[in-house]
Amino acid sequence: MAIFPSIEGSPDLDDLLESYPEVLKSLFGIVEGSSITSGPGYLDAELFSFMLPLLVLLLAIGSGARAFAGEEDAGRLELVLAYPLRRRDAVLAQGAAVGAEVLLVSLAAGLALLVLDPLVGLDLSVGRIGAAGGSLLALGLLHGWLALAVGAATSSRALAIGLPTALAACGYLVNGLHGIAGWLDPLRVASPFWLIGSSPLEGGSSGWGILVVVLVAIPVLVAGSLLVERRDLRTA
Amino acid sequence: MTLSPAMPSRVAEHLSGPAERRGYDRRMADAPPIETFGLSKTYGDGVRALVDLQLQVERGEVFGYLGPNGAGKSTTIRLLLGLIRPTSGRASLLGCDAWSDGVSARAEAGYLPGDLRLADRLTGLEQLESLARLRGKVDERLRDELCERLGVVLDRPIRHLSKGNRQKLGLVQAFMHRPPLVVLDEPTAGLDPLLQGEVRALLRETAEDGRTVFLSSHSLDEVEHVADRVGILRGGRLIDVDAVDTLRERSLRHVTVTFAEPLDGAGLAGIDGVRVTGVEGAVVRLSAPETALDALVKAVAEHDVVDFVSQPADLEEIFLELYREDDHGR
Repeated sequence: MAIFPSIEGSPDLDDLLESYPEVLKSLFGIVEGSSITSGPGYLDAELFSFMLPLLVLLLAIGSGARAFAGEEDAGRLELVLAYPLRRRDAVLAQGAAVGAEVLLVSLAAGLALLVLDPLVGLDLSVGRIGAAGGSLLALGLLHGWLALAVGAATSSRALAIGLPTALAACGYLVNGLHGIAGWLDPLRVASPFWLIGSSPLEGGSSGWGILVVVLVAIPVLVAGSLLVERRDLRTA
Repeated sequence: MTLSPAMPSRVAEHLSGPAERRGYDRRMADAPPIETFGLSKTYGDGVRALVDLQLQVERGEVFGYLGPNGAGKSTTIRLLLGLIRPTSGRASLLGCDAWSDGVSARAEAGYLPGDLRLADRLTGLEQLESLARLRGKVDERLRDELCERLGVVLDRPIRHLSKGNRQKLGLVQAFMHRPPLVVLDEPTAGLDPLLQGEVRALLRETAEDGRTVFLSSHSLDEVEHVADRVGILRGGRLIDVDAVDTLRERSLRHVTVTFAEPLDGAGLAGIDGVRVTGVEGAVVRLSAPETALDALVKAVAEHDVVDFVSQPADLEEIFLELYREDDHGR
């Protein structure tokens, strides 16, 4: 973020970006008309199209997989589930914990932007910062709760990490490339990244999209909490 | 962020609904603490771990569940605790179906798994407190008494504790809420003999208090001084349930006597139940039931003895004896 002042308003950098191969531009959210040399545009390209979502996803998926499948792997659930505790309640409680972590990180990112904005002079609006935080939250909840649910339903930590990661990768690619690869277009509705919108700070994020993703995340968590009650607990 | 046992306490409090909090009600108090009806478990790979178990444990008794490794003891215990689902039949824990209604029963029962895993980063005390919050109740005085009695290390992180010290924590958490039923899977494995004695005393006191203990073991010796009845499991089937005294009569010892001079075993073989299994010079090997030991020692003492070693026969041999007797009985 600190290098921004030195590139602000520079027409040459924008020209350079224009000449990037279509695929890369598409992937990194460098859309027609957006400018990497405007504050929001810079952050969108640098942070919100890739880095922050990646970090939040890593955290959320890791947390979700560790919460149930990880504990089962370590053999610790045998004692705990012999306590008067419904398995579904345990999964829901873990969902709350993962949700709290994701919320904290999203808030921290939003706060950091708010604080640093005047210092670095990016000229961001609070509403858009909120949207950016919201988009991180939605992505984190969906993939984190999916990791938790898959881990609880299947007892496989590998699946708990693999499935949400695959979903995220596909979602990201479909979102990034559907403009170029026409055959991907119909799939874009299933991509959380597309639903949320990839340039939140330049006004490209969709409140409805964020809501849809969160609303899908909830039944995913509930499904995991119900499926966990049907299977045998794995022993260490 | 771990689930258990470091689960946030406020969350834990909201987890059990009113049904689970009604406590030790009439239904649970009247029913046998443990009862199984044709309980069977076949695992996904086709292994028949438990076949048609029909068992009833009475209130106030210490029941020893014996079997060699792989006989199905842990499978039975996991079925009782609702951790795995029966293939057929059902199990009842404190009057509640172990799989579909297990939460009510587990509010009261205490459990110590065969392979105890605790939250490594917590201290002993933090772990016990966290578990107490999961159950929603604990008798703190009893907990402290137990910790002192067993010599539990409370202030160091669990990852720095030895297996024996962790096992002690496991014992405390199983007993600290004064449960009417305690289920223990090989509780004294890994403990030194002094502590094993302390644990046996704890089990007997629990039974004298009118409460029930169900423990599994692969060693008859470990169980015979503390149990009232013993059930023997082999290859997934319950082949015998007996009072301990009865089993003692059948329980064999392998005795090796080294005399000062070569001696033939004839004088010893005459004792009821004693079989001479080998003679090599001055060394005589015998098998004798525990009840015949007194007569055997007196007979041996008539000669000059250099060494006398008596070892319990392993369970496999006892079971073989049982089968042999059963065959003769038919």
